[in-house]
Parts: sequence; C-alpha cells; structure tokens
Amino acid sequence: MTVKVKLPQLLLVVVWIFWCWYFRGHFRKMASIVAAANNDDRVHLICRFYTRGMCRFGNLCRFIHPDPSQPTAAGVDGGSQPASNRLHDSHTAAATTSAQTDPKKWVLAPVFVPKNQQRISIEPGSSSSNDNCKDEASASSTTYAAVVVGPGGTVVQSDVSSEETTTTCPYQFNCPYGDMCTYEHNQMCEMCGRYSLHPTDKEQRKSHIALCIQQHEKDMELSFAIARSKDKTCGICFEIIMEKSGREQRFGILPNCNHIFCLECIRKWRQAKQFDNKIIRACPECRIPSDYVCPSAFWVETKDEKEKLITDYKKALGEKDCKYFKKGEGKCPFGNKCFYKHALPGGERVDVGVPKRNKRKIQRADDEILDLFDLYLWDFVDRREFHWLEILSNFTDSGDSDWSEDFE
Amino acid sequence: MANMAVSRIKREFKEVIKSEEIVQCSIKIELVNDSWTELRGEIAGPPDTPYEGGKFLLEIKVPETYPFNPPKVRFITKIWHPNISSVTGAICLDILKDNWAAAMTLRTVLLSLQALLAAAEPDDPQDAVVASQYKHNYSLFLMTARHWTNAYAGGPSRFADCDQKIQRLKDMGIDEHKARAVLSMENWDLEKATESLFS
Repeated sequence: MTVKVKLPQLLLVVVWIFWCWYFRGHFRKMASIVAAANNDDRVHLICRFYTRGMCRFGNLCRFIHPDPSQPTAAGVDGGSQPASNRLHDSHTAAATTSAQTDPKKWVLAPVFVPKNQQRISIEPGSSSSNDNCKDEASASSTTYAAVVVGPGGTVVQSDVSSEETTTTCPYQFNCPYGDMCTYEHNQMCEMCGRYSLHPTDKEQRKSHIALCIQQHEKDMELSFAIARSKDKTCGICFEIIMEKSGREQRFGILPNCNHIFCLECIRKWRQAKQFDNKIIRACPECRIPSDYVCPSAFWVETKDEKEKLITDYKKALGEKDCKYFKKGEGKCPFGNKCFYKHALPGGERVDVGVPKRNKRKIQRADDEILDLFDLYLWDFVDRREFHWLEILSNFTDSGDSDWSEDFE
Repeated sequence: MANMAVSRIKREFKEVIKSEEIVQCSIKIELVNDSWTELRGEIAGPPDTPYEGGKFLLEIKVPETYPFNPPKVRFITKIWHPNISSVTGAICLDILKDNWAAAMTLRTVLLSLQALLAAAEPDDPQDAVVASQYKHNYSLFLMTARHWTNAYAGGPSRFADCDQKIQRLKDMGIDEHKARAVLSMENWDLEKATESLFS
C-alpha cells in the first residue's frame, strides 16, 4: 500500500533529477553570461512581472525590481544608444540580460538553436555573403538578431517605418494593453499620417520629419509637373498629350525651343524620309533646329528644369551598352562622341577615341563632314529604344494610383 | 495612321470655323464628302492686289500620312498668277512641297496661299508665261489678272477691250475660256492669238 503511494512521487523526483542533470550545462552558461554582463558575481535577473507593473510578490520577489529613477541599472537603459551599435553586440551578455526588459533589445534575446545553428547561418540564401558574417554567426550566433539580421549586424531598412516597428510596440495606436504596455508607442506624424515618430528619440523624429518633408516636396513637384502638363496639346497630332493612351503619353522635348509635341509625333516627324534633314531636324512650329529629342513624362517649362532633364537623359543613356560597340566585340562608328556606354564585359570603360571617318568624305570640306556626322549620330540616338523611358514610365505608373484621381 | 489624319482634320476644322479669318470672311473650309480626306477651301483675294474682290475655290486632298506630309492643294477657280498654273491650278509653294512642317494646318496653308496671291515669286514660277508677263509687262499682267478675277472669281473690274477681243474669238467658234487663255498668253494681241489658235 505504502509502496504504491510513493511510486509516483519517486518517479517525479527521478524525472526532476534527470531534468536538472540534462540542462545543467544551460544553467551554468546562463549564470556565467549574466554574471559577465553585470561584471558581478551575483546573479541578476530582473523580474519580468515587475517591469510590466504586476509582480504579485512585491519585496519578497526572488528577482530584481529595478529602480526606474536609475537609468544605469541593467534593463532600464534608455534608447540613447544607436540601434546599430546594439545589434553589433548581439552575442554579448549585456544584450541578453537587458533584452528581458528593454523591448528594443528583445530582438537580441538568446535563441535556442542547438545543433543546426551553424547550418542555418551558412546556408545559401541566408544573409551569409561575407566571411565576417560566417565567423560571427557560427561562433556565437546565439541571438535571433544575429541569425536574421546577418552580416555586420546592420538591419536592412526598406521603409521609413520599418525602423520603428522593431523598437516600439508592434500594435502601435491600437495596442490592446493601452497604458499598461511595456513597449513605447510612437506618435503620429502629421505629415504622413503614420505612427512613425518615436516618443523620445529626437534624432529619429528629426530624420523622419526631414524624410517626410522631402517626400512632400517631391509630391508637390510632381503635382506641379502634372498641373502644367495636363492641358498641353501636341503641335502635330493636336491631341492633349496627357490624355493619350499608355506609352503615347509622353512629351518629346526639343532642346533648342519650347514647342510642345508628344514623343511619338516628333520622332515620326524627324524620321520622315520625304524631306531634307534640314527640314525634319527643325521644330515643326518655329523651324529652329534641334539635334535630338529628349523624352519626358511631363512638360518642362523653365530652363533649369530642361537642363536637368537633358543631363539626366544623357546620363541614363550613358548607362546603357552601345549596340555597335557590343562590349568590345564591335566598333562604334561614333567613337567617343557616342551617348551610349562603351565598356568591356568586366565593366571597364573604354575610350574608343575620335570617330573614324570615311576616307572619301575627308576630301570634302571639314565642316560639312562634321555636320553630316552629327546628323547620323543624332539619328542613332533618336531611333533607339530608351532604357530611360522605362524608368520614367515606371515612375509615373507607380505613382498613378496616388494622383490620377485628383486630376480626372 | 489614317486615324491620325482624320482626327487632326476634325480638330482643325473646328479651329478654322472659330478663327478670326472666318469671321472676316477671308478663308473658309467645307467638307466635300464624309471621309474627311477631301475638302473645299475658299480664300478671298487680298486687298490692293489684282485679285481683290474675288473668291477663289481650292481643292484640298488630305493624304493618309497627314500631317507628316502636306495636303495636296489646287486652285479650282482659274487664276492668273506666276506661281499658279493657269491651266491646271497647280500651286508652286514651298510649304506645300519640301518645306512642309507637321505643325502647319489647313488654316495656315490657306493663309499662306492668300499671302502668295499678295506676293508672287516670279523667279520660281509655276506658269512660265504668266511669270514672264509679270516680269516684262507688269501693267499688262495686272490687267490680265484683274480680268481673270472678274471672269472666274467674281471680281469687280471689267475690261471692255478684253471682253471685245474674246467675243471676236468666240465668234470664230473658239471656246470662251480658251480664247481668254490664248489672248492672255499672247499679251492680248488678237492677231497673234488667232495665229496660234489656227496654226
């Protein structure tokens, strides 16, 4: 009878002993980590419940109840340290202790990755692209941050708001814990309407507002560009350019005069075979010759806007491989006067020198050759499909949903 | 492509109808058929020229490639002008040929033609006989042009002498227009005209 009663208890004791024995290594490790962190022999563990304001044990609690008035105490450390620095210490013990209370460091909490931690960190596709990372990860990637964030410990920020979500309450304004929440809650930015302003981090607030203002300026610029473009009529097809369909909704800007055409029309005019070059290179309205047509999503009016557009355009062309040079395999008849990129497969740029001219032509007057040559060069530029156009159209397409409604 | 030509003509049509020149009755455009490719233009002879008071009809054919190619324009109304054929009405005007620009419109074409009536270019003639008369016997050219304007375009000036000579040829069984054309070419010399008609 007595034996029967004691058997389950005995079993429990055995299991407990086994459990202690099994996890002894972990206890020892944790103790040493915490001790090292505090540079103290005593084991400091901060009460989780106290930090949430609901420890039932009060003064009798086994864990430390830190004094909020002492900012130096472990775990109450404020957000003055930049996020990236904190992440660098991902494997240090300081991080692991304070991670218990500081929501900003929860991301650095120790993670239990028993045997496969090495495998994870050097797995292809994970962020282990450099050696530095591999070493760090395999040696001590005990934190979630080290595994996820990857080399160098820098968090890749894709968005303005992503930074805040890692350091403050993920629920933000509709947090179910309300004032009881241990996380800090962001304040709403009046410019973007998002809860993106950190309550205490002045640097963050400043940079967020600066970003917002920048964005706002961009939006304003776009609005103005649309406003001045929306009623412009092409001088050739007589249609309102912004009302044309899809890819035809583009301006062809002539560098030397201010007459309005859509890109399709002015290109077509300049390719007309039935007229002299002199005629088709001239503006159909004022007959001022222009060497090329610059595509643009919007109408540019001022000289500065136009100059910027043309500079950007030439720069964009310079990024694209010349179809005659063919990465060194071919020869570009336009030499170093070509707008397109002359680079070897390795990316090394090549100066192909001045364009080679036809011997027969050299006998003629020099100026004439140059003129002829220029004409052909511009022909070439005009007739190619532009990379840059794609960039531009992407730009307008992406913003489409935002502004189109306002102007319809 | 044809689409663009038609849509542009439609827009131009509206523009011409609203334009000042219409209000002043100096130019006019009408549709000939529903295809929008054939039009009828009308210009008033500019003041202080031998064409003053006349209304000149024009045939306008819009090519499919318009506005990248100029419209084909011809005078239907007979006119005595160095740059316009007195026989066919063909016009020698640079903008209708190799100096066309895609931004030009029917309105600008008609206004250019009006300007051409006011300022002939005898050195780049379409009708060599008229140009030669213009250069060598300007007063006779003025009279002939006025006479033609009166005869074909409803101009005000009548020349009894011209009418008489034409009547003489008509009596010989010559068609009135042919008689006028030959007489004009021969500087209103009846004898020479008869000679060239019957030789």
